[in-house]
Amino acid sequence: MAPNWTLQLHSLSFQPYVWVRKPPALSAISQLGIGSKWDGIRYGHLNCNSDRSRIGGNFVVKSGEGSASTDSGGNVEGDEIVLKSGTGSVASEDYIGKMQEMIISSPPGVFLMNKCTRNGLAIGFCVVTACLAIVARVYLMRKSRNSHSGSVADLVRRGQLRSDRRGISKPLKYNDPFNNPLVKVDKSNSSVEMCGKVYRLAPVTLTKEEQNIHQKRRSRAYQWKRPTMFLKEGDSIPPDVDPDTIRWIPANHPFATTASDIDEDLAQNNVYQKHGVPFRIQAEHEALQRKLEALQSDQKLNNLFIDPGSVKEFERPFKSKSKSDEQVEQSSSDHQTGESKPPNSFGGQSSSDEAQKS
Amino acid sequence: MRSLHLLPNPFFFNSFHSKTLTSPIPNPKFLPKSPSFTPIKSVLQWNRKPELAGDTPRVVVITSGKGGVGKTTTTANVGISLARLGFSVVAIDADVGLRNLDLLLGLENRVNYTVVEVLNGDCRLDQALVRDKRWSNFELLCISKPRSKLPIGFGGKALVWLVDALKARQEGCPDFIIIDCPAGIDAGFITAITPANEAILVTTPDITSLRDADRVTGLLECDGIRDIKMMVNRVRTDMIKGEDMMSVLDVQEMLGLALLGVIPEDSEVIRSTNRGYPLVLNKPPTLAGLAFEQAAWRLVEQDSMTAVMVEEEPKKRGFFSFFGG
Repeated sequence: MAPNWTLQLHSLSFQPYVWVRKPPALSAISQLGIGSKWDGIRYGHLNCNSDRSRIGGNFVVKSGEGSASTDSGGNVEGDEIVLKSGTGSVASEDYIGKMQEMIISSPPGVFLMNKCTRNGLAIGFCVVTACLAIVARVYLMRKSRNSHSGSVADLVRRGQLRSDRRGISKPLKYNDPFNNPLVKVDKSNSSVEMCGKVYRLAPVTLTKEEQNIHQKRRSRAYQWKRPTMFLKEGDSIPPDVDPDTIRWIPANHPFATTASDIDEDLAQNNVYQKHGVPFRIQAEHEALQRKLEALQSDQKLNNLFIDPGSVKEFERPFKSKSKSDEQVEQSSSDHQTGESKPPNSFGGQSSSDEAQKS
Repeated sequence: MRSLHLLPNPFFFNSFHSKTLTSPIPNPKFLPKSPSFTPIKSVLQWNRKPELAGDTPRVVVITSGKGGVGKTTTTANVGISLARLGFSVVAIDADVGLRNLDLLLGLENRVNYTVVEVLNGDCRLDQALVRDKRWSNFELLCISKPRSKLPIGFGGKALVWLVDALKARQEGCPDFIIIDCPAGIDAGFITAITPANEAILVTTPDITSLRDADRVTGLLECDGIRDIKMMVNRVRTDMIKGEDMMSVLDVQEMLGLALLGVIPEDSEVIRSTNRGYPLVLNKPPTLAGLAFEQAAWRLVEQDSMTAVMVEEEPKKRGFFSFFGG
């Protein structure tokens, strides 16, 4: 199926300006190979569309001006000259030849075509090189990823671990803060370079005698005894205490208080304690234990009197939850009636434990 | 003696006079030629660990009198520096009302128990110690929680007990116990200085801070703490050069204390505080971080500075500096 060519010629005096839509196809224009595939070329007012392949072999030349300046003999229908090239007539060959000449005679297009063909090799080389580079990069990345899989460096990379805050502490690069790449004292000792800045040095002139003079001055100026007793305002001074060693703490002091619910010896023991349960935790635990024992003993007594329903429970220490719920309800009802049975389920469990012991 | 250690120079030690920046700096080149003068020569011992001087544990209180001069920053950085040098350190935040040391160290989420809970018997001492994961030989102990009141009926005895308990620990006595003292001379100050046998006085080169520092030094001396060294913080050499700020030598002349360190003003201090990451751990090290490390080194060796940085000099350019060399 041959394409239908349409040439719309406003005037045959073609201007040399060229707008090339698809440069590689320009080479085909010069030959006007019928049946070749191109999307469309606009050359001045020349439209060549291969999409218009409606009629096989029709080649339509349109003159926009009405003055048929085509000097070849052809069918003139008003302003339109229709040439049928499907039959391979001589007139169409003339037109094609002229058009070839016309296109070839337009220098910019030809230059573009020639340049494109010349640069084709270079462009191809660049494309191939880029593809090779991409492939190499992907390969290297995969290789490096595989080599570090599962290391701590991955955690640092993922942000889960900070490289500078890792538990593994790195040793110092240098042992000496006075001699390292950032601190340099010059040979004459008159200047030091720290962090890229040079500072002039001056020797310290303070002597021991002057230090003693300052100490004496201060000892005269500041007479002070460290307070050893802290009293709240309004407290009475103990009889055998030097008043100078008392510090008065206001009742509304923001962070200090003289009140303490723990005595001195106990606090000292608490500080010195190395092992075991801390004092207060143990005291609370013991108090809870005592309370529990009291509750258990009460329940034991209760079990002696009223426990006909829980005989089955003694047989089965691991009772089901429903039973325990029932017992909770029962115990709560008992509790409400004024009996001192423990209201929760651990009383029942302890009774079962005791039953196991017995 | 560490870097910047000048050999005892009779010229300098016998002629004590006010050294301001306008006065000529005693550069060895311009010193008068005298038979007793020996050129300044450093006795540097590179690439060795500092030798711990004194009996362990060294209980050091870091105090200032005035607030906001950098006590907590100094405690954090000196403490971490000591830990990096291989010494075991326990830092006690005795700033009862305004506790901040945990924030500077980035350990604020790990403080569950404090000394108040230890005293009350809610936990043991080892449970209240927060071990730093970065340097496992550094531990933090806070006195109390911000909104709780410290029962100071025992006075400073509680801290003395703490020090005794730390001495008797199974894992061994710590080398350093550093106490971050609260500002002022209130009950917190008295509590903090009680167990200490040496002190670091942090001051800035301004007159308000110096007056408070002098007063606090007097109180420390009255309490029997004789080993007091000072650290001058937030020093700006450009302002010293323009005579808008007292020089370190001026500060030393006013207080008469040995110098443990001079910390230049550094914007990295604020950044490190925001990060909860002490300055001395910064990579690359910063100017203030290096100064803190040097101070920690001197603290270990019970040393003091013998030369101070006074002003910045233009850097000498080499022949190839034009080409970026």
